[in-house]
Amino acid sequence: MASARILALTLFLMLFGSVPGRAAAGAGKAPDREHRVKAVFLFNFAQFVQWPDSAFAQPDSPLVVGILGDDPFDAYVDEVVRGEKVNQRPIVVKRFKRVEDAKVCHVLFVSDSEMPRVESVLSSLKSRPVLTVGESDALYRNGGMVCFVTEAGRIRLKINLEAVQNASLAISSKLLRLADVANPSKD
Amino acid sequence: MRVCVFRRPQPVGGFLRLAILIVIAVSGGIFGQGPDTLPTPAELKKMSLEELMDINVTLVSKRPQRLTEAASSIQVITQDDIKRFGVFTLPEALRLATNLQVAQVDARQWAISARGQNSTLSNKLLVMIDGRSIYTPLYAGVFWDVRNVILDNVERIEVISGPGGTLWGANAVNGVINIVTKGAEFSQGGLIGGAVGSAMQGVVGVRSGGKFARDGYYRVWGRWMDHKSSELIDGSDGRNPWDMLQGGFQTDWMPNSGERVTVSGNGYKSDLDRDLPAPITAEGQNILARWTRDYPDLSGFQVQAYVDRSMRVILNSFREDLSIYDIDLHSHLELGTRNALVCGVGYRLMQDEVVNSSSLAFLPADKTLNLYSGFLQDDVTLIRDWLVLTLGTKVEHNDYSGFEWMPSGRLSLTPDDHHTIWASVSRAVRSPSRIDVDFYAPAPPVPATTPQLQGGPDFKSEKLTAVELGFRARPAENLTLSIATFYDWYDDLRVLETPVDSTHYVFDNGKVGEVEGVEISSGCQVLAWWQLKAGYTFLKERFWDKPGHAEVASAGSQGNDPDHQFLIQSMMDLPKGFTLNGAVRYVSSLPHPRVPEYLTFDLSSSWQFHAVTVTVVAHDLAEENHPEFASGTRQHQVPRSISGRVGWRF
Repeated sequence: MASARILALTLFLMLFGSVPGRAAAGAGKAPDREHRVKAVFLFNFAQFVQWPDSAFAQPDSPLVVGILGDDPFDAYVDEVVRGEKVNQRPIVVKRFKRVEDAKVCHVLFVSDSEMPRVESVLSSLKSRPVLTVGESDALYRNGGMVCFVTEAGRIRLKINLEAVQNASLAISSKLLRLADVANPSKD
Repeated sequence: MRVCVFRRPQPVGGFLRLAILIVIAVSGGIFGQGPDTLPTPAELKKMSLEELMDINVTLVSKRPQRLTEAASSIQVITQDDIKRFGVFTLPEALRLATNLQVAQVDARQWAISARGQNSTLSNKLLVMIDGRSIYTPLYAGVFWDVRNVILDNVERIEVISGPGGTLWGANAVNGVINIVTKGAEFSQGGLIGGAVGSAMQGVVGVRSGGKFARDGYYRVWGRWMDHKSSELIDGSDGRNPWDMLQGGFQTDWMPNSGERVTVSGNGYKSDLDRDLPAPITAEGQNILARWTRDYPDLSGFQVQAYVDRSMRVILNSFREDLSIYDIDLHSHLELGTRNALVCGVGYRLMQDEVVNSSSLAFLPADKTLNLYSGFLQDDVTLIRDWLVLTLGTKVEHNDYSGFEWMPSGRLSLTPDDHHTIWASVSRAVRSPSRIDVDFYAPAPPVPATTPQLQGGPDFKSEKLTAVELGFRARPAENLTLSIATFYDWYDDLRVLETPVDSTHYVFDNGKVGEVEGVEISSGCQVLAWWQLKAGYTFLKERFWDKPGHAEVASAGSQGNDPDHQFLIQSMMDLPKGFTLNGAVRYVSSLPHPRVPEYLTFDLSSSWQFHAVTVTVVAHDLAEENHPEFASGTRQHQVPRSISGRVGWRF
């Protein structure tokens, strides 16, 4: 009988417009879907990128996912990586205000709040095995490695392969194939 | 027109029954779930990268265009599919969408349609490359032999079966193919590639991309391709090798966030049917400029203009020079929280000049055609994140049939992120083209006793009223399923007939028809490294003459389509940069002219080693040869073929 109710409701809506009660219920604070999906991408990067052994103090040292600047994920990244391991290493999330403290990271999400000083952020990480990730074209243009691009409602990845290779990181071909690989700094 | 639908209540009754069944099937989920619909972290983590990239992260009502697509039968061919299956030409790539009927006629010719009525002169499919329509007003179809796209530059091909007239106008009757190439920023650096194979003599291509100014990117490219002859069914040489030289460029400049200025140009020169007595030479150039601006409040606009020139010469019998000038303005905005509006206006000028011969003629030889259009579509959110009604219409004015209206209504029910149920009613028209009205064969004057084929001076538009009902689901985290069913009612279809008191054959709007069908597609990420895709299409067509009309028996080719077709694809990522991919394709027999059913399979493997990719592709392995379509007196067949390809990025 559920179907009959839906058909009746559909007909009613088509004829008379809308039902305010239900709409009000859905009008609460919209969760940020985009950053929840991006948080899962950060977790995936930990699996699809290989770091040199020198990037870890011990064979079982944790893999550190860092967030530099304002955190758009709230606690969602922590929720995603909770209990997860990559190559026997636990994954931990750390938040940083200054890039100097962030050098211990393996994956570093550079928040849009850092864009005014993005050049100095990236230059102080230069050649370190830190996968820099962001969602701003400015980061990408200045040598950031992975950039989220939202197009037609879908998240796409741009990868600066040269920057990745300069940092002695190796990205799986599976990830590369799905990304748009470019050398943005090449003139 | 709508009354026509109800004249045959039985199939529509079937639709309602199916609608109720589908609603019952998913109603459990509807009442259990709130509007917040994204999967949990645990569920998201199980998804493949492809699936994550396929999640729409903007809320449903944000992009009106996307929503229309969500409530329609759409299949997307990605760059990954194209790479894996090593295809070189656009028609070969289109085989990967099972909501199309694609048949190779010979080395250069293809018959491509959606929802039936396929032929080499299919005229109910709209095909666009980056917003530039590539159908010719000569016969409202596409010269597939010269409309080649460098598939390395393609980001994705969206194939929408079913009417799209409300947004895209006349000709978008049975489907829309939208080829989207990459922005220049995504094709930076260099690429050199080449291939040889048993069906092709060779392909060599080069591309280079770079930067200009601070926010500008460009790419330039060129390709030469030489294709061998196809064989006739008696095994003799079809003497139809062809070659093509093409090149182009694109620049993208993004001075501000949300703003993009694109300028692109393409050119080609081709020799077709080279060894036949009447070889064809063709060439064309086009240039397009587009400015798009999106604002944070979800409004935006796009201005686009292009010029497309093409020339085609059949030795000693025909020459056409066509110039198309087109300008379009689109804009979208949100009105309050419930209405998302898209609207646009456009103008197209087509100058067509033909050189006639005694065997065939278009009269008048030179014709200038004007096309004015405007459209308005509103997505009305009836229940937020749950139920959206889309209403819209396009109105066009063309020089043959005057004003044409193409309204549609769509209802999309999204109880959660895993399920969408949609339904639509639309009207679409195929407006007259030159062949319908201006065509004569042989060319006048002819003796009174000689029968002549003539265009119909009063030829009107062919019309479609379509009812669609679809369902999209993600029953498990690694599984997607899409089902679209449709019922099409056609009126005023073209017939070739002999009017009383005449010895000639004349085109007229003398046929009606009904077509029903089901399109099913599914994707499954079996393991992290193994993906399966499957698609199946069922089609049932019936056409008959209207009272007072009788099609000439020999002309009847409406509904020459397979009842069943399916495609299963397997894509594997193996260690050390290898991939292994396979496909099985089945197409049931065509009735008239008869072509037997066929089942065939393709295999391909690629190996990526640093910047070098090597691909080996084997097509149509099941048989030495099989025909796919019969057209004209010389029937060709498609051979088993193998090719190897190397690409180097730098």
